[in-house]
Amino acid sequence: MSHQRLPVRTECAFPRLGFLDRSSDSEDLPEGTKMELPLWLSKSLYERKRRVLSVKLPNVYREGWRTVFTADPNVVNLHKMGPYYYGLGSQMLHFDSPENTDIAQTLLQTFIGRFRRVMDCSQNAYNEDTSTLLERLDCLEKALFQAGQSGLNGFQSWEKGRASQLTASSLVLNYRKRKMADVED
Amino acid sequence: MDPSEVEFLAEKELVKIIPNFSLDKIYLIGGDLGPFNPGLPVDVPLWLALNFKQRQKCRIIPADWMDVEKLEEIRELEKREEAFTPVPSPYYMELTKLLLNHASDNIPKADEIRTLVKDIWDTRIAKLRLSADSFISQQEAHAKLDNLTLMEINTIREFLLDSLNCMYKLRSNLQPGSSGRTFTDF
Repeated sequence: MSHQRLPVRTECAFPRLGFLDRSSDSEDLPEGTKMELPLWLSKSLYERKRRVLSVKLPNVYREGWRTVFTADPNVVNLHKMGPYYYGLGSQMLHFDSPENTDIAQTLLQTFIGRFRRVMDCSQNAYNEDTSTLLERLDCLEKALFQAGQSGLNGFQSWEKGRASQLTASSLVLNYRKRKMADVED
Repeated sequence: MDPSEVEFLAEKELVKIIPNFSLDKIYLIGGDLGPFNPGLPVDVPLWLALNFKQRQKCRIIPADWMDVEKLEEIRELEKREEAFTPVPSPYYMELTKLLLNHASDNIPKADEIRTLVKDIWDTRIAKLRLSADSFISQQEAHAKLDNLTLMEINTIREFLLDSLNCMYKLRSNLQPGSSGRTFTDF
């Protein structure tokens, strides 16, 4: 998740680090360059006092998208918005933007709004193709979906009596080693 | 927890059987099991009853609640009430499945009983999901749920706890002074 790139603007010069910015030719980065750095780098370089970097909020967390989320969280395709919507949003709060409380509130409300849909999908889709349901979910919601599915599958297989049946492991079936019975023939 | 583990716990419930052999009192670690005389009913744990039944040494007598009219009443009550109604037995689902699979010849109208118990289960699970949804959307701190059985709790446990964990992490974003924390396991 931390490999996601964020648009940043340098506040001081970075001598001899010009290779970080693909579009510039110079050997060092002058102050005020706009470029993209991955999250892990931005987070370590960011410091309130020394003013090394300033990070721009990605569009998904801005005012415009926030109103869409508060209106109806269920219609948004969170996978397209960056598959780590919640995770990245929580990390963005590290960068002291003035809109921090609004961002945090929107993240929470979006999660709550989409919870019902995730729960219904995961608890009722037994033995079906779930790819259409999953494509609009972000990674956090996908993990929850898997948890719900495993609970459902466990119960259904118990009810069918499959829980106590011994089945050959797929590793053994695929290994195609010669069986003892075949060798003795 | 696995459903099989819940079934294992359910097998400790006592059921009435009529053995067709005789045996003196046996002393087990879990307790004593009374002398077995042919034709006389005796209470034994479910695991023993199923074992005898599979060896054709006994006849299982269904419990009082395993009766079509009683279950229909329970089902209607469950549909009317918003809260969870008291269950006939804390392991009704497991008992139904085990007894109807192994001893359906001793239980009258087995298929109808199976359908009725499934209806009761579906109604209760739907109520459980509704209350989980209102729990999350109103961000309550705790909820009280009476009369839930272990099997029902087990099916929703993993999902609900994970969601509550995520919600907690998102909520702690709102607290001041917590922005120094890392959320690396998202």
